[in-house]
Amino acid sequence: MKLAWLLVAAGLFGAPKVVKLETVPASADLRGPKAGQQFLAVATYADGSQADVTGSVKWAVSNPALAGLSTTARLTALGDGAVVVAAELEGVKARSAVKISGSREARPFQFARDIESILTKRGCNSAACHGGVKGRGGLKLSANALYPKEDYEWVVKGGTYQVLTAEVKGERLPRVSVNDPEKSLLLTKPLMMVAHGGGKRMERESEDYGVLLEWVRNGAPYGVEGQKTAKLAALEIYPPMATMAEGGAHRLLVTARFSDGHTEDFTNQVLFSSNNTDVATVTVDGIVKAKALGETSILIRSAGQVASAGVGVIGPAPAQYPSVARANFIDDHIFAKLKKFHIVPSELATDAEFLRRVCLDLTGTLPPPERVREFAALRDPKKREKVVDALIGSPEFIDYWTFRFSDIFRVAIFANGLTPKFSQKYWEWIRANVATNRPYDEVARERLSAQGYGAASRHFIPYNQIGPPADVMAEEVRVFFGRRLDCAQCHNHPYENWSQDQFWGMAAFFGRLFKAGPVVFDHPANMDWSSKDVDGKIEVLHPRTKAPVKPALLDASALALKDDGNPRKELAKWMTAHPYFAEASVNRIWGYFFARGIVDPVDDFRSTNPPTHPELLAELASDFQRSGYDLRRLMKTIVMSRTYQLSHRTNATNQSDVVNYSHTLSRAIDGEVLLDAVVAVTGVPETFSTAVNEGGAVGQAPANTRAINLKDPDMYFSRFLELYGRPNRGAIPERTGKPNLGQALHMLAGATYVDRLSAPYSRLRALLDRGASDAAIIEEFYVAALGRPADKEELAEIGRLVAERGDREAALREFVWALISSREFAENH
Amino acid sequence: MRTVLVVCTFAGGLMAADPRAVSMHPFTGQRGGVFHAAVRGNNLKDAKAVWVESGPVRMTVEGAGPEVIPEGMPKPRVMLDVVQVRVETAANVKPGRYSFRMVTPSGVSNALALQITDAPVLAEPEGQHETPETAVAIVEAPVIYTGKIGWRGESDYYAFDAKAGETMTFQVLSGLPSIGAPGGNANGFDPSIAIYEASGSWFDAKRLNRIAFNDEPLWVLGRLTDAYLVHTFAKAGRYYLRVEAFSGQGGQDYGYQFKMMPGNVPQDLPAGKADWEERSYTRALRATRLNELAARGGKKQDQKPVETYRAMGKFALPATLEGVIAAPGEAHRAQFHVDGPQDIAIEVETPGIGPPLFNPVVRVLDAKGDEVVTNFFAGRGACTGALNKGLTAKTIYPLRNPGDYTVEVRELTADNGEAGFRYRVQVRPQVPHLGAVRIEEDHINLGPGGAKTVRVSFDREENYRGAVAVAVENLPEGVSVLAAADYEPDKDPPMNPGKRERYVPRTERTVLAFSVAEGAPLMELPKVMRVIVRPLVDGKPGVTIASKQIPMMVVAKP
Repeated sequence: MKLAWLLVAAGLFGAPKVVKLETVPASADLRGPKAGQQFLAVATYADGSQADVTGSVKWAVSNPALAGLSTTARLTALGDGAVVVAAELEGVKARSAVKISGSREARPFQFARDIESILTKRGCNSAACHGGVKGRGGLKLSANALYPKEDYEWVVKGGTYQVLTAEVKGERLPRVSVNDPEKSLLLTKPLMMVAHGGGKRMERESEDYGVLLEWVRNGAPYGVEGQKTAKLAALEIYPPMATMAEGGAHRLLVTARFSDGHTEDFTNQVLFSSNNTDVATVTVDGIVKAKALGETSILIRSAGQVASAGVGVIGPAPAQYPSVARANFIDDHIFAKLKKFHIVPSELATDAEFLRRVCLDLTGTLPPPERVREFAALRDPKKREKVVDALIGSPEFIDYWTFRFSDIFRVAIFANGLTPKFSQKYWEWIRANVATNRPYDEVARERLSAQGYGAASRHFIPYNQIGPPADVMAEEVRVFFGRRLDCAQCHNHPYENWSQDQFWGMAAFFGRLFKAGPVVFDHPANMDWSSKDVDGKIEVLHPRTKAPVKPALLDASALALKDDGNPRKELAKWMTAHPYFAEASVNRIWGYFFARGIVDPVDDFRSTNPPTHPELLAELASDFQRSGYDLRRLMKTIVMSRTYQLSHRTNATNQSDVVNYSHTLSRAIDGEVLLDAVVAVTGVPETFSTAVNEGGAVGQAPANTRAINLKDPDMYFSRFLELYGRPNRGAIPERTGKPNLGQALHMLAGATYVDRLSAPYSRLRALLDRGASDAAIIEEFYVAALGRPADKEELAEIGRLVAERGDREAALREFVWALISSREFAENH
Repeated sequence: MRTVLVVCTFAGGLMAADPRAVSMHPFTGQRGGVFHAAVRGNNLKDAKAVWVESGPVRMTVEGAGPEVIPEGMPKPRVMLDVVQVRVETAANVKPGRYSFRMVTPSGVSNALALQITDAPVLAEPEGQHETPETAVAIVEAPVIYTGKIGWRGESDYYAFDAKAGETMTFQVLSGLPSIGAPGGNANGFDPSIAIYEASGSWFDAKRLNRIAFNDEPLWVLGRLTDAYLVHTFAKAGRYYLRVEAFSGQGGQDYGYQFKMMPGNVPQDLPAGKADWEERSYTRALRATRLNELAARGGKKQDQKPVETYRAMGKFALPATLEGVIAAPGEAHRAQFHVDGPQDIAIEVETPGIGPPLFNPVVRVLDAKGDEVVTNFFAGRGACTGALNKGLTAKTIYPLRNPGDYTVEVRELTADNGEAGFRYRVQVRPQVPHLGAVRIEEDHINLGPGGAKTVRVSFDREENYRGAVAVAVENLPEGVSVLAAADYEPDKDPPMNPGKRERYVPRTERTVLAFSVAEGAPLMELPKVMRVIVRPLVDGKPGVTIASKQIPMMVVAKP
């Protein structure tokens, strides 16, 4: 009752006049006995806003003999034929056509569908409950009903699951009692008739209870094999993104799409949960309730499938939403969502703001003062595009993206055969790919399938050994698919639909990988080459069943290995053609330019971590694919969007936005880039010496080497880089950019800052020797460090401080220190 | 000449204060000329002579003493001595590498290499050349410079002009071979070179941009690490060549020779090892192979010649199969027949491209197609038990069953194959013989009453069971050598050593015990003694299989 009032309130009070009413779905095709369909009514108001008015409209069905309609707008088929579902609100009408067939046919029972859907909807097989790694309370269910056959065995026969072996532990105690169905644990536990750690999960009067009881009474059969009927292929959610004001509500509609193309309403067969209950909650029936401003996702789980819907709890609409110019398709997606969320994007960044930002993002290099002034003076309307082209074509671009990909691809001595000869060879391979703008799918294929002595194969021999197949595969999938399968190594992934079988099937592609001296190779399919001499076999064993695993792609299609082929080539071909590859690639690159991915973290795609802008991600991926996986083109598309070029200065509507790109988020510059920036501003180069400080073997990078150009960063000692988050590349780096106390202390007393100020050859020294005025020196450093001139107040205040200090040179040194220690300098914004 | 046959065992001590030559700079001079150089090393401050092992080269000591560290420079961990030498070469000396040693009152040092060229040699001008502005300007090629990476992180720039389409060859030889190179050490100098053009950038109009670089295309222990680069310039202009140490090392021993030549000129490579290379992919498997092996076993050289076949169809033992893995995934097969038990040896030669680029896998299959033996050695490590594998150039195996067998040859990877992947696989009966011999001493300095042991180890190949004689010739006066049989403690066996006997020869060793009589005369210059290894045939020494010349000195205070 309360809910009804809430819906009424959300739909009526204070809302403008209804101009349009829609019933969703617009049409439905109901098949089989007891088929049903939940309907929604969505009103569009005069101000363009929309609201769920399902509880407020007057519903009617054209032929009650064929279908019944509940008070919550759920239609149930009673007989075959066609009916119309009509709704009316404030005189505005809408209707949906419904076709009903097979309402009197018997549908074959299917455990996977009829029972598992209940176990899923009631949360029984969730990761926190019996779907956990070991199950719970002696009952193991596969997470999200991934393995119905196994679940059936555990329910009907009982026994305790073991992670590392397929053997059943302990006495087998069935969860169903065919002789006394009502005493089945499967029924008594969720009713809390006997103690249940998961609490009460259903009522005795519920339809689900009735289905379960009936199933046990019928002898608890498994029914028809899943493969013989259409499989659930996907869940479609309406609306994919629901926006509402605080206190508002919206019902979600879940439609299941099956492998044979037909669809069914699954709204009452799924489990809903909110990713952030501070922003929005969701009822068991799928009604989302807005609690506080923000954005979150509602996760929808059915047997074997997971989907999500976005929820935006939005503030009041601005009096007049401004017209915002667009530069390319990125803006269409970003600005449409912003408008929907009542967020007005910031103004376009100033030339100075844009130039510094784009130079750092594309080349990791501060613009020199003369270029800043030149750019500011240019009146060419195409000057931003021209400078972007110049930067993308610059050698600094090659330096910077070599550094970036050396991070992801892990160039490091320990990761590449324990010798700088190999790590540098690998680095040169990356650099050549960046320099020639080699299509990224080609790069990926070579890295995935590299054999022999070639540079790309060096990453397969960390510590001069071939890594375990599971580790190698998981890393490649994370790099090129943006997905973390690692959990599925030891057990079925608790939160995703990745099974242990899928994991090891993929890992098996790397199972015949080996090395002979420095040469990486794969054993042919039927040859183990002397392995039997030491009682060895070249095979990958499933850790639980101990059975040899054959290479199989994530879609479960097995691959027949040949004696004269490289199995990883097939894998590489499949991976780079898979949609995951393009979307993960564009998301990673996007993340570099916006400090967060459309899916964030950039390599953590999962149903429980949905993209903020799915359509944008899809279009970027599609564009990237069409362009022949051209990274430079992708980067240009990104930086030429108005979205990228928005100012970091916020307005009243977008201050709290951190996920919708309504303004540029300031972010910490990576340690290597920051160190190079300090060097560039002060004019005092950094010396990079190898960490081993004894013996003749100690080395040093050539004079004026930039931090981003260090081929083996882990070879060089640098307190600064340690403090500013240089990763050791022992695993795929995750740079956080979070400040720490060590950085603050280093700013105060560290050599990077302090020693430079008094260096005999520096920018300051040169300016002083040239007789530059205080104002000229201040101006020069501002432009060099911040990419903008000092404003009047800054100039006056710093001038005053210098004059009061008494010692001019000391005062100017302190000014330079303050400038390079400032947040504005250390961040890109 | 005194010859001593050794038959029993002895042990000796190590020398203290042995002179050690580390580097000479410059180490290159033009023939028929004179140049001055500094030799750095340990215990050289009293050096009195330079002993050139061969060739019409005269080197004399002009002065010696402890190294002087300039004011303000950091003191090195170990102070070296510096010897100033004068190098004079005859006009008719053949260009190439010559070996020399320093002679001190404590004895003779290890050998260093001197390079003699037929082209003029210029010294890197004084001062730093770390920027394009201070680059050494090259006016014409060919030219040779001697330079030094004097401190860590230093790099030397050379500036030159090139025409469009012009090809040039650049080579830098290290004066301090690095680990991996023959005679190299962990602190060595592995030179790297790169060519730059001053094409600038949006950020810096003067920026140098790299257009070509060299590092060894292969890096395997035992291979040369000198830099070599052939480049054709796409456009005319000013270019810069940068020389640096691979990992940025530097110091007073980091001398180099830089050569720039027009055209595509092959790399200067040191002469190959003269020693017997039983298990190298590069040794020639000739038709006379059986006789060559028989000679090393003290047998008559009346063995059958080895026929050569293309690696298809059938062949008879002994045979050499020749072929090319011209395309990825190719596998060549040929059949042979044995009428009874037959101990066979399979040897692999790669006359063109070899490991690690072309890695021939050879398998012998029985009539059912099952693998009998391969040239893959598999073993489990002693620490972790992990499976390790390696390809070998020689495998022996006792075929016990008569019948048809197939030899299959393929490249280790499925992805590689090209016209340069040539192989020669010899399948033959085993011929017991003496394999590689190692004499582990470079030079010996002893005082009166002193003693020293020298280990000699040798490989018994293909079940060679004959006795081995080790002799020493040309001993200095007052020096004697005794028999030796060495004690070798048992090692923990690996967890699973695999079938080592197929891939690794049985190795034995003996010891030579040198001793100097109390009254032995002191020597001013070293005398070269010769250690000789021969098989014993019917109790008599057979032909010389291996020998090594070792300079020796009897000195007052070794």
